[in-house]
Parts: sequence; structure tokens; C-alpha cells
Amino acid sequence: MTSSEQPGPEPAEGEGPDTAELLSLVARGDQGAFEAVYDRLSGPVYGIVRKVLRDPSQSEEVAQEVLLEVWRAASRFDPARGSATAWVLTIAHRRAVDRVRSETAAVAREQKVAPDLDMGDDVAELAEAALDRRRVRRCLGALTTLQAQSVRLAYYGGYSYPQVAELLEVPLGTIKTRIRDGLIRLRDCLEVTW
Amino acid sequence: MSTRSHELHLLTGVYSLDALPDEERAEFERHLAKCPSCVDEVKGMREAVARLAMATAVVPPPQLRERVLADVPRTRQLPPAGGRLLTRTGKRARVRRWPLSRASLTAGVLAVVAAIAFLVVTQVSTTSQLHQSQAANRAIAAVLAAPDARIELASATVGGTVTAVVSTREREAVVTTAGVPSLPRAQVYQLWVMTAAGTAKSAGLLTFTSSGSAVPVLADDVLPGDQLGITVEPAGGTPQPTTTPIVIVPVSST
Repeated sequence: MTSSEQPGPEPAEGEGPDTAELLSLVARGDQGAFEAVYDRLSGPVYGIVRKVLRDPSQSEEVAQEVLLEVWRAASRFDPARGSATAWVLTIAHRRAVDRVRSETAAVAREQKVAPDLDMGDDVAELAEAALDRRRVRRCLGALTTLQAQSVRLAYYGGYSYPQVAELLEVPLGTIKTRIRDGLIRLRDCLEVTW
Repeated sequence: MSTRSHELHLLTGVYSLDALPDEERAEFERHLAKCPSCVDEVKGMREAVARLAMATAVVPPPQLRERVLADVPRTRQLPPAGGRLLTRTGKRARVRRWPLSRASLTAGVLAVVAAIAFLVVTQVSTTSQLHQSQAANRAIAAVLAAPDARIELASATVGGTVTAVVSTREREAVVTTAGVPSLPRAQVYQLWVMTAAGTAKSAGLLTFTSSGSAVPVLADDVLPGDQLGITVEPAGGTPQPTTTPIVIVPVSST
């Protein structure tokens, strides 16, 4: 682990240099800065929520909550603790998972397809995300089958790790380590410098 | 202990994917408070995981933008976490790197408000009780007003939230709870100050008003590196904890 590494500024790639700066303006009530953050991150926010929940109207509802939370809690973002993008997308994914864990959402998800990176035909993928998609595909492809399946089911499927273990018929302890190993390899493959 | 914490360390991955069941998530977050290498590992993983999300980006429905932007002017923003009187600094706050959920934040704020309100509304029946409770109130007020006072929030494994206002300068902490389940008559919640050396000293029993709200408890001799823990014990309390704590709140150095 590179525990001695100091957190740097925003990663230069995948995100403009100043989402963190925008958030500090948002924290002071700057609605224009919030619009800029919205335009930058609403695509991935809606995308990941939709990926996990699959139901369009529920996804829209949760994405709305998440984006308002970004406005509300902008003062709590601390650039020393991670990038602005990761902060926002962590809120988004966690909200989606919380929603899944409520029963109503679980029922709605039952019949839908297994999680994959493809979104289906009824939504337009963002062109700007094409590079991310290619790299994520390549890096997920470089994992072992079990690592990739566990990460996909947990993240895109919104399943808890005991559920992932059950779905893949693998012991709990194995899932924990495979997910950890998988994420470490993903991190290195995606060249995340933190 | 070390086996257990080694096992917990393996959870960095599932935690970063939000794949821990709620109870284990709370336990892992307490572990994070004591494990800087886990914090680093989670940080790197969260950035990688953010890329997984970026790859799912799609064009959001146009009405979403209108709705969100319409809500913005009527949505009150949170103040920065560090206040003049009560600041969140140190280890615990550093670990909680993602915004508190609305529920837990509200619980914490309510608990502090309750602690302050308690100063005003204490019910007393005798003169000696009056003197005692006035002394306790003064001590509680001193902690709340200490310039280095900060709030530590933790979820209890049995449900509910525990809030501690800690002043390492005063070496004291005020502990209160919100939403922890009530116990059968034969049991009590007991508060402990646990040192890094492994000793535990009782800081008293938690009591609740007739309406069910927690009465703030003052713990003294609280030093950085200590932990505040609450256990379920037989009525009357015990000299040493006999059960696994339902919550552990680390006391960080400022």
C-alpha cells in the first residue's frame, strides 16, 4: 500500500481540474457553480443510480435526491480526503443501494437482467464517458472471472457481499478477499494515483 | 483482537463498493477510526470505484435538471462541519469521509440539543438532588462550552445513535444517546472509559426520562486514545464490562 503518498489535487484525467473548486463555491451558496457541477456529474449520477435500480422513475427520484444532497452538503466535502467526483458518486451509489435495501425496490428489480456495463437501448450513453467505458471494460477484463463477477454484482447490481456469495455459490470469506484483490487490481489498472 | 482486526481489514473492498450489510458497515466504520492503512486503502479504492460509475454515464432526463435547479433555492445548505463551539476534528471526523446520512446527522444534532435542553428542564425532588444535579449540569455545561469540544457520533449495533461531546482539555465527555432500544427492567446500559492499556472504568449508568429521552452522562478522566464504550449489564451495573460493547466511540487527540 502506498500509505505514505500524499493526496494530490484532482486527478487530471476523467474530470476537469476544478470540480473541487466548484464545490467550494457551491458551499457558499453559488447556484451558478452548482449548475456547472450538475452539468458535469448528473450523467454519471443518473447512470449509476439507474444501473443499480434499473427502474427509470425510481432512478430519477433518487438521482434528484443525490444532486440536491450535493448542494446541501457541499460544505462537508474535503479535498484532502478524495476527489470531488468520488465524493459525489459515493453519495449516489450509496443512496441507490439504500433504496435497493428497502423491500419495494427489491421487488421491482426481481425480473430485470443481471448487471453488466451495458445500459440497454432506452437510454443514451454519454459520449464523454466512452473513454471511461473502454478503460473500465479493459480493466474488468483483466481480472479473474470471479473477481470481475463479484465486483460487478456488488457495484452494478447493488448486492451485499453475502448476497454475492450466495449468487456465485462461493464462501463469504472468498468473496471478501476476491473483491479486495479485484479492486486493488482495478485501481492499479485504471491508474488511480491515490 | 489482531485476528479480528486483520479480518476487518479485508473488508476495505466490500466497504468501498457499499456492499457491507448495514450492521457490518457500522462496525467497519468504527474499525476505520483505528486503522489509517485501511483509510488509505479505501481512499484509493473509492477513486477506482468512481471510474466504474463514470463508465455508466447516460444522458439524464431533461426534466431532472429543471426539478433539481428549482429545488436548489429552497433547500437550506449545511454549515461547514467545524463550528465555533463544537467542532468536528481529529481522527473520528477524518474517518467519516463521506457526508453523514441525513438521519445520523439529525440524530447527532438532536442529541446535543437534548443535552443542552436537559440543563434547563432537569426535574429534582430534594434539595440534595438539586445540588447534585446543579453540579452535574455545571460540569456538562463546561464540557459543551470548552473551546476544544467536539462531537463524536457513532451508531450502536443495537440501533440508535450515540453522541459524545468530548473535551480533551477538560478531560471530560458528555455522552447521550438517541433511539437506542429500551431494555428489560433487569438490564441497564453502562458507560465505560476504556484505556488503550485495556482497562475499563465505569462512568455510570445511562438513565432515561419518563418520556424515553436519554439523560446526558458526564464521563471524567477521558484522555486522547481512550475509547468510550457502552455495554448492556445487569440492573445496578457491574465493576467491569461483561458483554461486548454495543458501541465504541474513539477519543481522538485534537
